[in-house]
Amino acid sequence: MKQLRNIWLLMGKDLKIFTADRAALFFSILFPFLFVTLFNFVMTGVGSEDSRLQLNLATREPPTGISYQIIAALETVDESALKPGEPQIVWLKDYEQAKKDVEDRKLTGFIAFPENFSEAVLMGYGTELEVIYNPSNPQATAALEGMAQGIASGVGTQQVVNNTVIGLLVEKELYQPGTAGDLAQSIRAMLTGQAGNAPESSRISFTTEKVGEVEAINPANFVIPGYLVMFVFMTASFAAQQITKERLNHTLERLLSGSASRSAILGGVYASTAVKGVIQIAIFWGIGILVFKMDLGIAPAAVFIISLLMMLMASAFGVMLSTFVKTERSASSIGVLASLIMAPLGGCWWPLFITPKWMQSIAKITPHAWANTGFNKLLIFGADFNAVIPEMLALIAFAVVFGAIAILKFRTDAD
Amino acid sequence: MAEAFLVAKDLHKSFNDHKAVNGVSFTIGKNEIFGLLGPNGAGKTTTIRMLSTVLEPDVGEVTISGFSTRQQPDKVRSIIGVCPQELALYEELTALDNLTFFGRLVGLNSRETRAQSMANLALMELEQRAKGKVSKFSGGMKRRVNLAIALMGHPKLLFLDEPTVGIDPQSRNKIFETIQGLRTNGMTVLYTTHYMEEADRLCDRVAIMDGGKIVAIDTPRALKAKLGDPDKTTLEDVFLKLTGRSLRD
Repeated sequence: MKQLRNIWLLMGKDLKIFTADRAALFFSILFPFLFVTLFNFVMTGVGSEDSRLQLNLATREPPTGISYQIIAALETVDESALKPGEPQIVWLKDYEQAKKDVEDRKLTGFIAFPENFSEAVLMGYGTELEVIYNPSNPQATAALEGMAQGIASGVGTQQVVNNTVIGLLVEKELYQPGTAGDLAQSIRAMLTGQAGNAPESSRISFTTEKVGEVEAINPANFVIPGYLVMFVFMTASFAAQQITKERLNHTLERLLSGSASRSAILGGVYASTAVKGVIQIAIFWGIGILVFKMDLGIAPAAVFIISLLMMLMASAFGVMLSTFVKTERSASSIGVLASLIMAPLGGCWWPLFITPKWMQSIAKITPHAWANTGFNKLLIFGADFNAVIPEMLALIAFAVVFGAIAILKFRTDAD
Repeated sequence: MAEAFLVAKDLHKSFNDHKAVNGVSFTIGKNEIFGLLGPNGAGKTTTIRMLSTVLEPDVGEVTISGFSTRQQPDKVRSIIGVCPQELALYEELTALDNLTFFGRLVGLNSRETRAQSMANLALMELEQRAKGKVSKFSGGMKRRVNLAIALMGHPKLLFLDEPTVGIDPQSRNKIFETIQGLRTNGMTVLYTTHYMEEADRLCDRVAIMDGGKIVAIDTPRALKAKLGDPDKTTLEDVFLKLTGRSLRD
């Protein structure tokens, strides 16, 4: 009980010092806010009309083919109605010309439906969509591949339905074996409006799925978590400077000769660092949700748990750092250096998933990478709680290692 | 000497290969002002750290009011106050905040803390600056705050480690007056300094340390008498005679 009371008192004292220091408040609270606001503003331009992604579609089928209806359903009719970041889909009427334009780098790429597309779909045998692209634009290529997968998946479902209907009719002897091909032709005619009736509206329905990176992403979804990780870690690193200062001016020793035990001092230092982190987290997420309209995905609890684990890890790092340094200046320098090296390496400045594989592998040595990967999974890719358990465990492991070193090496000036 | 309040027996402490304290033994009587004298590096501060439970001796035993610093450090801490040589203060906070924090830490409740904080600041003639940031204080004022903190919780034994280093005569006199007043109120004081005239003026007995050992222990007058006329001899003369070097080496 006395230990807890002392930890509470020490934490309160540290927070009082923190709030009395205007520079510390500015760099821990206001500066990150300005930083995030600025970068969010800058990143908001990405995906706007000036740089709208254009996805091209073409078909080699005759005009009666299903692909015509698919393209007509997907084609952007009114560009002004598009949301920020939403791609413009263009129907390229001339396949050969489109292919030449890609070769000449006038087009980034396009998806083409093959000549036998409708027949293959209705008869149940496989066919392939062509994705023709220029490798100089990986973003457009990824989007085209994503879109092709989406079309293939949607049409594949339709194909299964058709085959099942034919199978059932044959099984019930409503049609004799061998006439299934006629039936298929009938269905095809019906679907394409060739059964004698004028086509009403399309009988094939298409749904637009969220595929790959083509969905408009709120930049706050990666700007805010990235800078949150960076600034919480940086503030915790600065705590090392404060602890070192206390060791050098002998207040830690004075606490020991009072009634504070070594573990209470360590607990108080850790708790105050952690509380500063919590304040930052609350401000970052508060601003993110209220000002930048962030969506915390389908597992907001996981977002908060990762935030808290990251804060615990960063606090442990701050205390650990203080045990390695001898002067305030070295605490400050190493803290800033560690923060500035680990932040970009760990994906605080740009999403890790856009970096090369080797860089993603190296990044895993930083706790930042685990925290950012967890946030990206939840906020950008819509992952659920279970998907980020590895990231949570990694952050716990980092916190335990840093904390153990801090406990073993923590010292006052008297030691 | 009155009944022994502090007993230190054969204390040893080394840091790596350096022997900082080498077989120090002494007792301090209740209500006594005991001086621990010696040049920088003599082992005074290390001795105080061991007596005040901050450091554990490699060898030796310390009891304060019957409590062992090894076995009952919490009991010892509840009856001692330490004014370290350094200004162990939170300069970002006010004088009152500093006293309040350390008062709560020694177990006082809010009301007691407030009352004692204001009383101690008044004792140090700092009540007008109670809400001033310590960083804005002069060196002498900081020294007085340093001492005021050590008095929180009304300790029975006060360790004063060079409390007058680098301060103006006015603050030094104030500290002397305070120490004498504390003794009148029944407090026991261990006072380290390398200013001989301070020890001569304040202390009932002094121990002279050099190279981690006590080379002499007695009343200032008795020590001076060993060299000649105690009215004409100084403690500095005594130290020179005993160690062969100046106190300010």
